[in-house]
Amino acid sequence: MKAEVSITINGIAYSRTIPIRMLLVDFIRYEAGLTGTHVGCTFEGVCGACTVHLDGDAIKACLMLAVQADGRSVTTVEGLAKGNELHPLQVAFNQHHALQCGFCTSGMLMSSLDLIEKNPELSEETVRHGLVGNICRCAGYANIVDAILDVAQERGS
Amino acid sequence: MSGSNNKLKDKQADGIGARLPRKEDIPILRGEGHYFSDIAVERQLHVMFLRSVHSHARILSIDTSAASQMPGVVAVVTGAMLQDEILALPQASTSAGLPGRLPTFWPLAVDKVKFHGEPVAAVVAETPYLAEDALEGITVEYEPLPYVGDMEAALEPSSPLVHEDWKDNEIFRSNYQALRTADEHAAHIKEARRRIAEAPFVVKQRFRTHRCGVTALEPRGALAVWDNRDGLTIWMTTQRPHAQRACFADVLQLPLSKVRVITPRNQGGGFGMKASVYREPLLVAHLARCLRRPVRWLETREENLMSAGQERDQIHDLELAADAEGNLVALADRIVADAGDACLGGSWAFPIANVGGLRLPNAYEIPFCDIELRVAVTNKAALCGARGLGIYPGRFALERAIDMLSWKIGMEPAEFRRKNFITTFPARLSTGLGYSNGDFLKTFDRLIETVDIAAFRERQKEAWSQGRFLGLGIAVGAEVSGVDSLSYVSMMGTPSYASVEVRVDPEGHVQIFYGDGPSGQGEETTIAQVVAEELGIDSENVSIIVGDTQTSTFAPGTVASRGAAMVLPSVAMACRSLKKKIVRVLAHDVAIAADEDDFIFADGYVMHRGNSNIRLSFAELAFRIVMKPINLPPGDSGGLDERATFESTRGNICFGAHAAFLEVWPETGRVKIERYVTSDDAGVVVNPLIVEGQIQGGVVQGISNFFFEEYVYDNQGQQMTSTLEAYKIATAADVPRIEMYHDAGTPNPTNPLGTRGIGEGCIAPVPGALGNAISDALRPLGIEITDLPVRPPTLFRQIDASRQRKQQAS
Amino acid sequence: MYPSEIEGYVAPCTVQEATEAFAKWGEETHYIAGGQSLMQAVKSRMIRPRCLVDLQKIVSIRGLHEDGSGHRIGAMTRYCDIASSRRLGGAFAALVDAASHVGDRQVRHRGTIGGSLCWNYISACMPVSNLAIGSQMSLVSLSGATRELGVDAFLGAPMETSRDEGEILLSIKLPQPAGRAGSAYRKWSLLTDGLPVIGVAAFLVLDETDRCALARIAVTGLESGPTRVPAAERALLGLAGSDRAEIETLLKDSASSLQIHSDEAGDAEYRKVLFRQLSLEVVTMAFDRALGSKK
Repeated sequence: MKAEVSITINGIAYSRTIPIRMLLVDFIRYEAGLTGTHVGCTFEGVCGACTVHLDGDAIKACLMLAVQADGRSVTTVEGLAKGNELHPLQVAFNQHHALQCGFCTSGMLMSSLDLIEKNPELSEETVRHGLVGNICRCAGYANIVDAILDVAQERGS
Repeated sequence: MSGSNNKLKDKQADGIGARLPRKEDIPILRGEGHYFSDIAVERQLHVMFLRSVHSHARILSIDTSAASQMPGVVAVVTGAMLQDEILALPQASTSAGLPGRLPTFWPLAVDKVKFHGEPVAAVVAETPYLAEDALEGITVEYEPLPYVGDMEAALEPSSPLVHEDWKDNEIFRSNYQALRTADEHAAHIKEARRRIAEAPFVVKQRFRTHRCGVTALEPRGALAVWDNRDGLTIWMTTQRPHAQRACFADVLQLPLSKVRVITPRNQGGGFGMKASVYREPLLVAHLARCLRRPVRWLETREENLMSAGQERDQIHDLELAADAEGNLVALADRIVADAGDACLGGSWAFPIANVGGLRLPNAYEIPFCDIELRVAVTNKAALCGARGLGIYPGRFALERAIDMLSWKIGMEPAEFRRKNFITTFPARLSTGLGYSNGDFLKTFDRLIETVDIAAFRERQKEAWSQGRFLGLGIAVGAEVSGVDSLSYVSMMGTPSYASVEVRVDPEGHVQIFYGDGPSGQGEETTIAQVVAEELGIDSENVSIIVGDTQTSTFAPGTVASRGAAMVLPSVAMACRSLKKKIVRVLAHDVAIAADEDDFIFADGYVMHRGNSNIRLSFAELAFRIVMKPINLPPGDSGGLDERATFESTRGNICFGAHAAFLEVWPETGRVKIERYVTSDDAGVVVNPLIVEGQIQGGVVQGISNFFFEEYVYDNQGQQMTSTLEAYKIATAADVPRIEMYHDAGTPNPTNPLGTRGIGEGCIAPVPGALGNAISDALRPLGIEITDLPVRPPTLFRQIDASRQRKQQAS
Repeated sequence: MYPSEIEGYVAPCTVQEATEAFAKWGEETHYIAGGQSLMQAVKSRMIRPRCLVDLQKIVSIRGLHEDGSGHRIGAMTRYCDIASSRRLGGAFAALVDAASHVGDRQVRHRGTIGGSLCWNYISACMPVSNLAIGSQMSLVSLSGATRELGVDAFLGAPMETSRDEGEILLSIKLPQPAGRAGSAYRKWSLLTDGLPVIGVAAFLVLDETDRCALARIAVTGLESGPTRVPAAERALLGLAGSDRAEIETLLKDSASSLQIHSDEAGDAEYRKVLFRQLSLEVVTMAFDRALGSKK
């Protein structure tokens, strides 16, 4: 029924005894207390608000059990900034007004990070395509796309 | 006093009009937002609801015995248990004043269920996992009743009843008599009918819009704590904490002073979905009081899609008539709207549809209107407010009819619109609705400038000759920008004024207190910009305390584009009073006679225009007045805070004109939007970034509604779209970038800032623009878009059928 | 929302440990691969696993391998690894097409080819692409016995395969075509990269004169599960990519041979329209890719 796990989140190891059925997103939010990762759907895993990185890959933390992440390394939105220094994506999201309610933003940032890290060349079309796993209900996407392209461009130059 | 040669800018760089990145973003971007689900209190319990599997059924029995024995379960409740403990809704304090019927309901179904997804029982347990386990231990015995699903059939005398204490299923009816007497109205109708009968050009068409809505990404939730001294404290997702408070007080029979409702600092979208008073939080509050432990409910997406945020399903049988010169002469519409079970506090569903009829004539001079609305209750989730409240269907119907009529007359639709816009203000529609000011032509012509219609028609003709189908569709909306109390009291049972308190602390930092429940509108930034503009301080030095009934006076909520229309002007007014006081004290201290016009407030300083030696920092002055209130001018006392209340006059509007260019692929019925342009009258724009954000987002929601989203009920009333896989919301790859202009607006003379609210209405022209563009593309095939949503399979079928008809004819 | 109580979780490092764990836990034990579909079912409590045997740590059934006998894809190879594979061009490009558009980037980082084949969801992209290519499934039973099975025999109706209780899909062996080959997959859904209303995969082998010597066409999104279209496959034989009019006609004709259902997403007639469109696209691409592989 229960299992011991140790999951490293943003560089800190969290060792806990947890029910096997606990979702990774609940571990992140309630065991590690990192509430930047959000939940927006029931079981379907479509909204993308819970997107985190697992060993460097963007994944949905609601479609995994915490026990499956035992011994692995998770990065959440809280791990993006280095102290007071924001990640360029965070700065660009602010500059471009890429968020309104902000509920999708953590997941959107983590998907964006994956997108720019794995694709040296991005266009409006590839960015839009790269974001299909994240629903934004407020902003209409255009400013999010601009923010990502901005950062991608800076990286390229 | 500082040295001379100080030059102060007259205008604060981060004041009104600045493209200022939002103040509220950084914590959210760092994952440090403060949303409902981030709040937890010690010893909190978790509620989960068992929901009806039937659309309409009698509850024969509910067996909770097994569930009660399950691990971690603290309580299992049913509707029958609640009847003696709390009051049902409706209660007087927050009920609509319109002459409609208000159904009685408890938080959990009593005797029968009225839609698939209605809460039937609730489990309270130590963890949400255990609560969900226990739901499986509850057994409900139902006797299914016939499903009332078709809104027109529901209004037939033979229909089964949704609410059995009613004689039929009609919850509301209106004929928009406005201020006319019965006789005058009869004559008005007769004249409308005569004009339609005699007009050379008439369009008569049925339009249908589908059930869709908003689905904010953050679901609903409530966390209630009971305390014997303070009463109830409830954190919850709501756009209207004060209206919620009144309902909690009514239902739990507590004085208002014993109920505190708090909207968390960050709210994950609302769009009207979080403006109603729902069943679930009422039960959460009751349970916290009974169990003497904090109780928390966090909605699942499935619950949300089944029970909240569903709007827009209406049928319009519309007739629109024009004379030989192309002037609109009369409009008739028989509207039927589906209210679902209408068990929704605060709005009761039918006022939403009523707004649609009231605003139907849109921006046009139509002297005679014969409009009748009938609203039916059915076995569906209650009709619920959604951005573009009530008007998305009517805008679709009328804007489509305008295009159809233009082509009948042989006029370019844009020209036909220009000819028929209301041009003199104040104006009053035949439905009684007034418009105080605006300049529709100016804003519309800005759109037309960017849209070279003649060039497009050439391109279109060329494309048609190659078997390609390009279309251009234009639509407009004269939309709400704040609602006055007179209207709001009758609609929602609450007033609509804004009331803010501005407090300056001894360091010169400004806090604004008010009681709405925002959800990402950027209010902290725009308020800070208004304060910066008025008081000449850095917008960094302004913060807001919002959403808490304990720290604010009554506020109607974050609805109906009230932010720019009412809240910002009231902030400006309070700041102007403070300025007067600051100047009085300063003038007194330096012993000159002066008023506020003699001083510049900028860059954090207050400086005399004629004598730059008289110059003090705002912070110094704040300290002086708040902490050293000695030797003040006669009549003044210490402290620097001010309350202001503002309500815009009746008929405040914003106006938007949209143009969509698209291509239809006849082989598959697929549609691709090539370009989407808007021109809006947003009045004086406080922050262009935010105004554009509202429009970009609103238009994309409208597009998503039009093509993708639909709440589907099968023929037994089973809700088939309770996941985000089934209820399809447009992704980044499914929508275009919106090209926006807001430089051809008109300052709003009815408030001290000249602002207009833009958020609510910017979605409304979308279905007309898209429907017109698709119909325009398909003109050679004679296809008119009359039903929503527009999906490739249906569009293909229409195209195919039309081509076959044409083949047979030739 | 939340899974029902789960008693056991095992994450073995070898296939043998996995089958042993499965045998030990017995009833209501489920293997979990990428889990992107299984977790939906577990969270909605359609599936209530007593024990989950997680295959993610078994290195031996992961990755793309090539030896003298051709390509072999480990069942636990993720979509993203297939999508970015440089080895799977031409003949097997359909797999790349499919893997690149399954769900979204997050799903592609977890979801696996083997998981998708064993789940065989009604509108999944992986089963149909493999069906067109004619892959061979390699399985191991609880007793440790291995068997090879053609994809046609492996896939059944939606959510059904001929995988036995406790059996693990180890790898997918791709055929070695006797000539230049090309394949392609395309799907149609209301939203970009959504679960398709219909998807079509084509695999073509050409003779020395660039004419079709072997064709396999398969459709997903049908009630019957991933389905081959023999009428189209026969009619394509002997045609060249340039015979566009004939190809168009034969695909149109073969659409009428399909048993297609109607639902919310589209009626049968419309699905046939989509089949005609998509099959023409994938056949054309498969020809092009086969010819491209000549160089």
